[in-house]
Amino acid sequence: MSVYAVNKVCRQAVADPAFADALRLDPDAAVRAATPPLSDRERELVLAGDVGALARMGANFFLLHQLGRLELCGLTLQRYAERIRAEYASERAQWASERAATEG
Amino acid sequence: MATIVGALGIPHNPFTALAIHRGDASGDDSKRLYAELTEQLEGMRADTIVVFTTDHYNLFFELCVPIFCIGVAESTAGPSDYPMLPRLEATVDGELGTEIQESLVAEDFDVARSQEFEVDHTILAPLGVIDPQMEHAIVPFWLSTSMRPLPSARRCHSLGNALRRAIEASPLERRVVVAASGAFSFEVGGPRMSEESHVGVPAPDWGIRVTELLAAGDVASLVAETTSDQLAAAGNASGEILNWIAMLGAFDPTPATFIEAQRAEGHAYAAWQLQ
Repeated sequence: MSVYAVNKVCRQAVADPAFADALRLDPDAAVRAATPPLSDRERELVLAGDVGALARMGANFFLLHQLGRLELCGLTLQRYAERIRAEYASERAQWASERAATEG
Repeated sequence: MATIVGALGIPHNPFTALAIHRGDASGDDSKRLYAELTEQLEGMRADTIVVFTTDHYNLFFELCVPIFCIGVAESTAGPSDYPMLPRLEATVDGELGTEIQESLVAEDFDVARSQEFEVDHTILAPLGVIDPQMEHAIVPFWLSTSMRPLPSARRCHSLGNALRRAIEASPLERRVVVAASGAFSFEVGGPRMSEESHVGVPAPDWGIRVTELLAAGDVASLVAETTSDQLAAAGNASGEILNWIAMLGAFDPTPATFIEAQRAEGHAYAAWQLQ
């Protein structure tokens, strides 16, 4: 398994508008054609726009957010943000309580 | 011979630049601050701006990710990553870039060279506002301050010291500004984003601390306090402070001529007149 392949798909969507168009028109085919190949699980998560799970697997946040910015895989920036916030709710609560303790 | 005549610290949020170009009121405060930098830059009467910046996965990714890389060409264009921003062409000072790379490598800094590149929003979003006619040549100098592993603050500061020696040893007739692009605390798309947006400023107090150190010219404290733990807490774009630290290495520590923070944005606008 190589999360690099997921990062590369996100990066290529920015760098290559034809690839972004292909992702829009036939996402399954576009992701299957990516090199290096994504694992079945990675491909399913990308197609589902499940950025929370992809982030947990180690995908790069900056690159993942490009799927939201380009409105690919069912994402918008807002939906992207909601999914990351939901996935990391416990960490976010921890950081908030640490901030409150520092400020208190 | 070449002389360093000033330094600039410039935020590069592409959505801010877009708001300014569209005349949107949300960009008004930043427009005022960029205008301050325009005035400062005009006072420097510079030929070339060496810009320390962070490639946002646009130029370097698949083939390799150099820790340090300088751009040597005749011209470049972009921004490569935000086609909704005005497309700009910039002259590249390849002569000076070549001399800088040769000097730095001779000093044991392993700086890569790129001869065919576009530049991304980190250079052209702010420069398109500060210098819309692109009257200055640029030398892009990428520090790998986004993708782990990051170079240390100490190393980036030493690189700036060596850049100064390279420029001051150059026989080229150049008035050079050294610039740094980026924020002090910023998160893009990561778990430290705000409740309202896909971005956030996880450590606004750190942004203010950095601004105070810059205002006082306390570079030694800034280098000491820019630890990997501090950067981790300040967001996934907070490594951009290393661009500033490299820039600060290029001149003797001195209070900023102009500096103003935008606390809620995690960054500041700054200028140093050095002559």
